[in-house]
Amino acid sequence: MNIKHHPTDQTLMDYASGTMSQAMELLVATHMTVCPHCRDKVAEFETMGGAVLENVTRMEMADHSLDHVMAMLERETANENPAVQELPMTRRIAVGESITGSAMPSIPTPLVKFLPDNVLSLEDVPWKTLAPGVKHFQLKSVESKGTVRLMKIAPGVSIPDHGHHGHEMTLLLKGSYIDDIGRFRAGDVADLDDDVDHQPIADTAEECICLIATDAPMKFSGFLPKLLQPFFGI
Amino acid sequence: MSGTVTKRPGPADPAEAKKCADWIVSVAAIRDREAFACLFAHFAPRVKAYMFRFGGNSETAEELAQEAMMQVWRKAHLFDPSKAAASTWIFTIARNLRIDRFRQRKHIEVDDSDTALIVDTDPLADEVVSRDEHAVLVKAAMEELPTDQKIVVELSFFEDCSHSEIAERLDIPLGTVKSRLRLALGKMRGGLEDLA
Ligand SMILES: [Zn+2]
Repeated sequence: MNIKHHPTDQTLMDYASGTMSQAMELLVATHMTVCPHCRDKVAEFETMGGAVLENVTRMEMADHSLDHVMAMLERETANENPAVQELPMTRRIAVGESITGSAMPSIPTPLVKFLPDNVLSLEDVPWKTLAPGVKHFQLKSVESKGTVRLMKIAPGVSIPDHGHHGHEMTLLLKGSYIDDIGRFRAGDVADLDDDVDHQPIADTAEECICLIATDAPMKFSGFLPKLLQPFFGI
Repeated sequence: MSGTVTKRPGPADPAEAKKCADWIVSVAAIRDREAFACLFAHFAPRVKAYMFRFGGNSETAEELAQEAMMQVWRKAHLFDPSKAAASTWIFTIARNLRIDRFRQRKHIEVDDSDTALIVDTDPLADEVVSRDEHAVLVKAAMEELPTDQKIVVELSFFEDCSHSEIAERLDIPLGTVKSRLRLALGKMRGGLEDLA
């Protein structure tokens, strides 16, 4: 994978500080799975987080706080069974989350966890038609802030103008599209700030599948058929 | 007020940062209670301050700081000193616990055993400096920042606010927040290159 477009530094910093919406986090973690460059950057921002932690004005712990913690840990440790210890750092799976997607190497785990259990590939997604040539599937996030959805766009069709306010990111999962910024291929992220007007067009013979996350609710007022004119002759 | 506030600087040199890493390793290896007490003394009051900034209540902050330190004990065997400094690792534990409690969900992370994972085929000219040394350099670079930039960086990590909320808080335009952050990041990166 030859990734050319990444989330901005500010976006990666928000990911590392843990202050972005779940919708955005899902997109960033999915991109990071295929992008060692952004994993390194996030590690750098986490180091900054550690530095801020070192510099913070400390708040004294309550009396006997350590004794209390130690007593609880002693009890735990007494019943400790080494066999059930978590796997070491290099092969870690988030605690309490099962992986349903070992059979689908092409969809990164963060995204798999948000898909229905029976979905084994992007083709199995229960797409809903939104307009001619445009299908979508809304992913369920726990948080009400932000939205995240998959979009499937037929060749030559443009992604409808969905008039977003706030922060929006698009991660290409399959195919390619072109807009004012350039050409985006699988793995690329378009990280757009407020009010950027863009109308990406799926520009190859292949359909294009992308993940779109927003911080603010997406406004679908723009989803009028007249805006969905197929774009030929690219 | 149950929380007296004191200020004590963090590790100023790599040797001290390495000591923190060694303590975690020792907790993992031999359930070293003395090492854990040292970690607790160093990090618990900092994690408490972190939780307080997000939760605004000193009982909750105390409880979460205790819980974070218990996770340090429980997860010590997952700590890899070649991948992260102690402060970095404990920051991520605190961050994840905070999201878990205050936002009732898990922080979404890359799964290192993911079959879709693409590994770096061209790793950086491998690690002239250790993670501990690096963390100390980052901290030093951050201390060098002009106050207005430092505040924006700190608010980014230590408050649950977006950049527009930071702008509101500091009563400056959003564009200014963004440019200060950009400057700070550029300066830290530049500074790191100078130092490394
Ligand atoms: Zn990237």
